[in-house]
Amino acid sequence: MKEINVVIGGPQGSGIETSMSILSKISAGKGYWILAEREYYSNIVGRHSYIIARISSERQPRSLTLPVQILAAVDAETIFTHYNDIENGVVIYNKIDEKVRLDKIPSMEDLLKLRIMNELKGLGIDPSVSGLMEFMKRERGVEPLPIDFAQILGKLSESYRLDPRQLSRYVSTIVVSAITTLLGLDEGSMKIALSSHFRDREEIVEQNFAVFREVSKLLSEKRGILKLEEPKNTSKKMLVLTGNEAVAIGKIIGGLRYQSYYPITPAADESEILEKFGLQEVQGKIFGPILVMQTEDEISAIASAIGASLSGARSSTATSGPGFDLMVEAISWAGMNEVPVVITFYQRGGPSTGLPTRGGQSDLMAAIFSGHGEFARVVLASGDHEEAMYDAADAFNIAERFQVPVIHLLDKFLANTTASIPIPKLDEFKVDRGIRYKGTGDYKRFDLSSQISPRAFIGERGAFIWYTGDEHDERGHISEETENRIRMYNKRMEKIKLIEEEVPSWRKLNLTGSTSPDFIIIGWGSVKGVALEALEKIEARTGFKGTYANLRMLWPFPRKELKEITSKLAPEKIIVAEHSYGANIASLMATDIKVDEVASIVKYTGRPMMLKEFVEALELILSGKTSRVVLKDGA
Amino acid sequence: MEPKINYRTDLWIDWCPGCGNYGILAAVLKALEELKLEPHKTAIVSGIGCSGKIAHYIKANGVHTLHGRAIPFAMGLKLANPELNVIVHGGDGDLLGIGAGHFVAMGRRNLDIVVIMHNNGVYGLTKGQASPTLPLYTKTKKLSHPNLQGQINPIMLALAAGYTFVARGYAFDGNHLKEIIKAAIQHKGSAFIDVLQPCVTFNDIYTAEFYKKVIYKLETETGWNPNVEDPKEADVKLLAALERAMVSDGRIPIGVFYSNPYASTFEERISQSLGRVYPNLHPSNSKIEEEGKNLFDEKTFEEMFKDFIVERIG
Ligand SMILES: Cc1ncc(C[n+]2csc(CCOP(=O)(O)OP(=O)(O)O)c2C)c(N)n1
Ligand code: SF4
Ligand SMILES: [Mg+2]
Repeated sequence: MKEINVVIGGPQGSGIETSMSILSKISAGKGYWILAEREYYSNIVGRHSYIIARISSERQPRSLTLPVQILAAVDAETIFTHYNDIENGVVIYNKIDEKVRLDKIPSMEDLLKLRIMNELKGLGIDPSVSGLMEFMKRERGVEPLPIDFAQILGKLSESYRLDPRQLSRYVSTIVVSAITTLLGLDEGSMKIALSSHFRDREEIVEQNFAVFREVSKLLSEKRGILKLEEPKNTSKKMLVLTGNEAVAIGKIIGGLRYQSYYPITPAADESEILEKFGLQEVQGKIFGPILVMQTEDEISAIASAIGASLSGARSSTATSGPGFDLMVEAISWAGMNEVPVVITFYQRGGPSTGLPTRGGQSDLMAAIFSGHGEFARVVLASGDHEEAMYDAADAFNIAERFQVPVIHLLDKFLANTTASIPIPKLDEFKVDRGIRYKGTGDYKRFDLSSQISPRAFIGERGAFIWYTGDEHDERGHISEETENRIRMYNKRMEKIKLIEEEVPSWRKLNLTGSTSPDFIIIGWGSVKGVALEALEKIEARTGFKGTYANLRMLWPFPRKELKEITSKLAPEKIIVAEHSYGANIASLMATDIKVDEVASIVKYTGRPMMLKEFVEALELILSGKTSRVVLKDGA
Repeated sequence: MEPKINYRTDLWIDWCPGCGNYGILAAVLKALEELKLEPHKTAIVSGIGCSGKIAHYIKANGVHTLHGRAIPFAMGLKLANPELNVIVHGGDGDLLGIGAGHFVAMGRRNLDIVVIMHNNGVYGLTKGQASPTLPLYTKTKKLSHPNLQGQINPIMLALAAGYTFVARGYAFDGNHLKEIIKAAIQHKGSAFIDVLQPCVTFNDIYTAEFYKKVIYKLETETGWNPNVEDPKEADVKLLAALERAMVSDGRIPIGVFYSNPYASTFEERISQSLGRVYPNLHPSNSKIEEEGKNLFDEKTFEEMFKDFIVERIG
């Protein structure tokens, strides 16, 4: 096998994340590439959460797909919730759950229970785990692999004299151990992954390793039944990280000095990671300080980031939709005062609190058009971890060079997806601080003699600086005089053109695929992975050649570049893919480049687009059967 | 004698003639002058309102921000460059209405900044609506009904929030106010000054004549000592300040209510968590690049981010 897809599920708080971390580390350590996303409710303990992962010996997986070949269930709810997500594979589960009946699972949402109950009824299945297992074995080619969790934990408790109340912590290790055994991965790599995850806590490493041995012994007959081919990866090291982590690292490389945040999913993790890097001494060199400020609200987060920027510190804030809405008035102030500041915007499912822990891309218009008055801003989007890291750093360059607020759009999918990526090429991360005041003569912060006025920082000798949200003169004092109004307004607005001209095309939009395509998919952000893999599949299946246009700068809208690539195709061969209802990028295309009535693939369940459903949607569109497909897969 | 620094810009001031803001501006200018604060190391951060315009009248750095948000702007500026003297000016609507959350949060931090509130009982710039300091059932000129919302006691709120220097001044007692401003600037930690400011245009109740009759100075009272001189007496002094702020005998005390130099400032707390390099090394004076290159090479990157690196094991 070249790849394997896995779902690991269980109640929130049962160590599912630990499973993800350990599995990622073992896989990467053995040279396999991994992509794993975490799905969870807005809940701390008890509701169903799961990891969906793809491990490959061939190359870095870019998307997730259903059905999977391993379903590892910490509880019965997982089996019911995901019974449609597995085919021709193995279900690992707790033997004791066999007796559990669907209607007796209190943590499960009633609507979901009812839906599954009806499905099972329709299929004539007894709504119990054993009934479902029989069906899956018979109809879906699934091999049940019951494990007696209690027996393993009992032994562990005996040998290490553990408090029985603490034993549930080791359940996730049972599950990972079973998976690694099926994959035929060796003991050595498990030990290393455990040590790396439970750093410095030898006793815990040992106990978890004991669990692994026990499971591995129990499943010795199954060892390696799902073995992956030898990995093609030749690199000695890989970075294994989440999107939040990639952004944090990018910001650190980019010279971040002030980060503010008010806690919100899925942005807070980024700031918490940054907190660990406040001051670092590495190889005798000091890095930092980076001040990470948990503010009283998002208004204070953005306002203080702007304040910090006025002193010359590279500053940013991270949030998601509800917090972004609160920041908007201050972003307008930053636009008026030409302040470089970065807003990292992780989209989740809206409107309102919507699906607070699920993904979405429905904030495109908010990012581009929010705020009163007209002003220049840049909106960037990143398609994967590598782009996110680079963009997080480069956002500061764009902000300082053009003296504008930069909104870096990401989403929950990327934030909570772990990926293995190469170590970045550091010399590609440039630092461009823009035009600086040289410290001679009478300083005017809004000097009209050049389109970008040289920037002095508050605190610099020789410069008096005034800022105001009111219209102002060159010094930054209030002015409502009309000639000045026009010149200042023009200066700010014409930056949009300057940015369009000066930002290189590759920074705005990347094309992958055929150079003379039969169709083109247009998307941004984390649609990239699924779209790229779908292009290959569809070509293999239908012969249609496609291209993916990954929009990396959404504003100023890359109209010239997009016009060029869309001009050769009929609208029905232009397919927009977006995690929204409205496929909003299509509205921008309609108004900005007059390309209308394009086809679309959308999803708004808050779950990631899966490869198989995406390919099927493409087929429907390319065969002319429909021009809009709404995707639904994933629990 | 050293030449005096001129802290006044040459802009025409567009407050109403007779406005209390003139008194506040004069006191601030005098305080800056006497303390000889370096203008380029000084920043006036103001909110929106008549009061907010003050940032333009002072020849230092001036940041005229958003309604209610001067405090968070000032916080970012001060944290990123702790060498600055940062003074916030806001109206009573600005600081205790729309910006009340930030006002309280600043007290918790005890960041070394000064907050000067222009307390005129009204929303001046929007033409006379009731502000959060206007007492219940008061009816100023522009109100069609007596005020139905009660008033906030700014001194008590500041004390409860954790400001470590809390005082009240009067716009038309320039010398007294100037001394308070000087003490506030010199104080280490968050300082708050509630300045009674007649608004001649919209507040026909809290007028200069009114204040002349009811104001008295705390320091003229025998035994009044708001200064915490030993950390152990902080609570007792705080209680005395609260008590004094509550007295409602028709008279209004001005002067210092509370001053505690022993509480740790936010800068000190950050310093502790950042290996003491802060505030000497801070966000705006620390290096982030060398000739357009970032500071990392492969070695430093791999060491710094070792937790994210997985080495191949076989
Ligand atoms: C978000 C927002 N809401 C409303 C306003 C309109 N506004 C301007 S000044 C002001 C009130 C000013 O009152 P105060 O803060 O007491 O200052 P004063 O004018 O009395 O000095 C208001 C509500 C605004 N600028 N911004
Ligand atoms: S309206 Fe009142 S506060 Fe505003 S300038 Fe006039 S007198 Fe002063
Ligand atoms: Mg007022």
